[in-house]
Amino acid sequence: MRWHRLENRIVALFIILILLVQLAGFFVIRQAIDENARASIRDELVIGERVFLRLLEQNAEKLTQGARLLASDYGFRQAIGTDDRDTIASVLANHGARIGSTLSMLIGTDKSIKASTQTYPSADLQRNSLELVAKAADGNGASDTVIVDDRLFQIVAVPIKAPVTIGWVVMGFPIDQQLVADMRALSSLQVSVLVSNRSGRWQQDVSTLPHSESDMLIQKLPLSLAHSSLVPQLTLGDNDYSARVLVLAKGSTSQTALAVLQRSISEAVAPYRRLQLILLSISVIGVIMAIFASAFVARRITSPLRSLAETARRLGTGDYRATIDVKVRGGDEIGRLAEAFESMRSGIANRELEIRRLAYWDPLTDLPNRVQFADMLKEAIGQARSSDGQCHILMMDLDRFQHVNDVLGHSFGDKLLRQVGRRLEQQLDRAGAKVARLGGDEYAILLPDSDQFDAMRQAKRIQMALEQPISIDDQTVDLGAGIGIAGYPEHGQTSDTLLSTAEVAMYVAKRRGSSIVIYDPSIDKSSQESLSLLSELRRALDRNEFLLYAQPKVDMASGRVVGAEALVRWIHPEKGFIGPDSFIPFAETTGFVSMLTNWMLGQAGALCAELEQKGIKLKFSVNLSTRDLLDQELPARVAEILACNQLSPASMCLEITESAIMDDPVRAQLTLERLHHMGVELAIDDFGTGYSSLAYLKRLPVDELKIDKSFVLNMEHDADDAKIVKSTIDLGHNMGLRVVAEGLETLPVWHLLRQMGCDQAQGYYLSKPMPGDKLIAWLEQWKPPVQPEDMVL
Amino acid sequence: MLLSFLLRHKYGIASRIAVVVLPAALSLTAGSSVAAVTVQVLDAAGAPVPNAVVYAEPSGGQTVPKSLKQAEVEQRDIHFSPLVTVVEVGTPISFPNHDKVRHHVYSFSPPKVFELKLYSGVPTSPIVFDKIGTVVLGCNIHDQMVAYVQVVNTPYFGKTDMNGKVRLDGLVNGKYALKTWYFKMSPNEPALEQTFTYQGSDQSVSVKLNVKAAPVE
Repeated sequence: MRWHRLENRIVALFIILILLVQLAGFFVIRQAIDENARASIRDELVIGERVFLRLLEQNAEKLTQGARLLASDYGFRQAIGTDDRDTIASVLANHGARIGSTLSMLIGTDKSIKASTQTYPSADLQRNSLELVAKAADGNGASDTVIVDDRLFQIVAVPIKAPVTIGWVVMGFPIDQQLVADMRALSSLQVSVLVSNRSGRWQQDVSTLPHSESDMLIQKLPLSLAHSSLVPQLTLGDNDYSARVLVLAKGSTSQTALAVLQRSISEAVAPYRRLQLILLSISVIGVIMAIFASAFVARRITSPLRSLAETARRLGTGDYRATIDVKVRGGDEIGRLAEAFESMRSGIANRELEIRRLAYWDPLTDLPNRVQFADMLKEAIGQARSSDGQCHILMMDLDRFQHVNDVLGHSFGDKLLRQVGRRLEQQLDRAGAKVARLGGDEYAILLPDSDQFDAMRQAKRIQMALEQPISIDDQTVDLGAGIGIAGYPEHGQTSDTLLSTAEVAMYVAKRRGSSIVIYDPSIDKSSQESLSLLSELRRALDRNEFLLYAQPKVDMASGRVVGAEALVRWIHPEKGFIGPDSFIPFAETTGFVSMLTNWMLGQAGALCAELEQKGIKLKFSVNLSTRDLLDQELPARVAEILACNQLSPASMCLEITESAIMDDPVRAQLTLERLHHMGVELAIDDFGTGYSSLAYLKRLPVDELKIDKSFVLNMEHDADDAKIVKSTIDLGHNMGLRVVAEGLETLPVWHLLRQMGCDQAQGYYLSKPMPGDKLIAWLEQWKPPVQPEDMVL
Repeated sequence: MLLSFLLRHKYGIASRIAVVVLPAALSLTAGSSVAAVTVQVLDAAGAPVPNAVVYAEPSGGQTVPKSLKQAEVEQRDIHFSPLVTVVEVGTPISFPNHDKVRHHVYSFSPPKVFELKLYSGVPTSPIVFDKIGTVVLGCNIHDQMVAYVQVVNTPYFGKTDMNGKVRLDGLVNGKYALKTWYFKMSPNEPALEQTFTYQGSDQSVSVKLNVKAAPVE
């Protein structure tokens, strides 16, 4: 019996309740039976007493009748009248025998015994007889119960009339076994007659009790019993009795005669005991039925509960298939619970399906997502491993997707991504190949059980497909993609390594411009170096290993220093001086460049403010990268630095390259316009090297053009370069821009540029880039290369 | 109670009975020619006792005549009538039956034991009561019937009337034992006796009995 089971507890509750009720009933009934039995015993004893006394009375009456008959007998009276003693004695004997008296006496009017059937009547008898006659003298006879020689007698006295009283007939007989037997037959009571002897001890006269019990009764009775009384409990041997003690007679010598009426308690309660037995069996049957009934009811409740619990357990383990098979019975609570459970099960199953979909599927393209792709890849690797085969993955990233997204809107971009997904799926040439969208514009294709050749063929097919323009909403877009390939077991043992190697290959492909690259460990090596470089760059920033260098810009008309370009140098604790060409491109690809730009802006701002305090006003130029331009936070940071150093916006100029702008012209323009509105000046750096669109240039809010040094360095000897420089200067001026020449290294070039009307110049001829703290000293010794007056030729 | 009292004191009381003999002149009427003795019988409470038998036995040796009058005790309505009869010894008594039923008259009294077995009408011969004493008569088939016959040894006897008085006439002078018997006295109790001397003149004698007078039916 496990108590925590509801079923058992219900059954136990039922049984306990029934047992309590039955027990209470049992005890109440028992109590009632007990009281009833005792009351009925009491009643029986009271009635028995009356019956017994009546029996004695009847006996006495019978005797009186007999005596009266004798007394009225003519012959007897004649014999008395004639004092015929012999006749009298014979009549007494004859008549006494006829009515069953053991003694008969004639007592004369002078109170003397005239005749007796006993030759020598005992003193007791004489005395009692005379007393009785005296009592009956003025009546018509009397009877009494008396003790004669330790025995109980009934005696009667009647007068003999002829016609006046001429004597008395006294007759008597002992109370014998016959009488108590009659009494027993009449009343079911045990009757004993006891007489105390002259020493006060009880002795048996007659009794219906067996000898053993009657002897015990003698022992148990108290010695002096003056009155009739009730003895509720009298135990004789094994039997319990209730008894009534009647004092029947008292002798002259303090002798007492008793009748003890006994009712056996066990006999009296026997019918009730049978009743109790019946009740007990009813109780037992009731309890058994209750056990079955409550077990049945409990099972009706608990078995659906158990099956619900089982289902819930299965739900917990993720098994949602089990439908709840609890029969709904008349819509009771269990049924409703089962219904609710069923709806919960299907709800959870649906939601888990949805979650699984969200977790494993890309909602936009309905292609597997990165997680599912990784799982599928794991499975493919497992298969390849078990069959000693290979598998390959292709990873690709759309070129210029960001550009499309920004120009044509996100919803267009989304459609494009879906279209690409569909096109990729169409191009799968192997059964079991799977396309997945890993995120953004990154896709991957799993080629289970494929060799490198298969992968290459698939990649080429895709590349060709992607070269087809895609038309969406009347717009046609050209797309391209860099595709990286990696394969198990050659390039990695796990899905993670395969994914990362494929990614590395893809980046390499992109860098090379929409090609297909199969991963090669050497790529990985460089990428590992890049990683370590990145961490070193970070550390350098933390340890302040970067130095701000400045290269002055000189106004060609006045020969005065009007500005400086801020440049960064890295003093590596081990490698020493590291030029910007060694780490800036890397910083640009990793995004570290943003932190570097911030650092530069802060340093340049601080230096600018320091100079301003000394009365030197220089416009500081800081280079921005593509990433900086895409950074929406940049204008706010610039404003913060300006405010922090109490600088006017015009004291800062931000340089950007054409290619940086062209990567994302829309966003770049947005950033530049915000900076321009702030009052910060903007310059286009390295002008002439990119594929600049003059239309863009026209729209950009720039103030300055910096002619790339490649044109300036050789313009002294190369007429074409000189023409380009000249045209560029003119172009800039025509567009209202200030033109700055970079790479001024000789005096003749200075003169040339002056002639061409270039506004400002910077280069080794004027000064190499110098540490920022050396700038003041340099400014103090600065002499323009040509005096202004010399310039007039 | 009373009886037992009487039983215990029967002799003592008798000795204490006061006998008062009043002068005859006081009670004699002028018109009476013969002198007589008038006896008044009273009970213990002083009430007059009717049906008491009073008789005077000569005790001074004087001779008295015999008076053998026939007497009769009839049976009527299942009763003896009269209840009490007094006769001189030797007197025959007849027992005429006036009832429709028969009677069996008997006596177990020692002075005269007899029985007249079931008869109706008048029995052929009267019964002679030849011994002095009290004879109780009964009927064997009617237990309630009882009558008393007091047989005396003197011609001077009588029964008290409703006032408890009786006149004894024609006495010769001399000493007498005046005896009074009443049926309510105990069976073995002798008649109350007192003496007086008659001298030819009217006399009154009062007798006090130690019993209670029974009402006359």
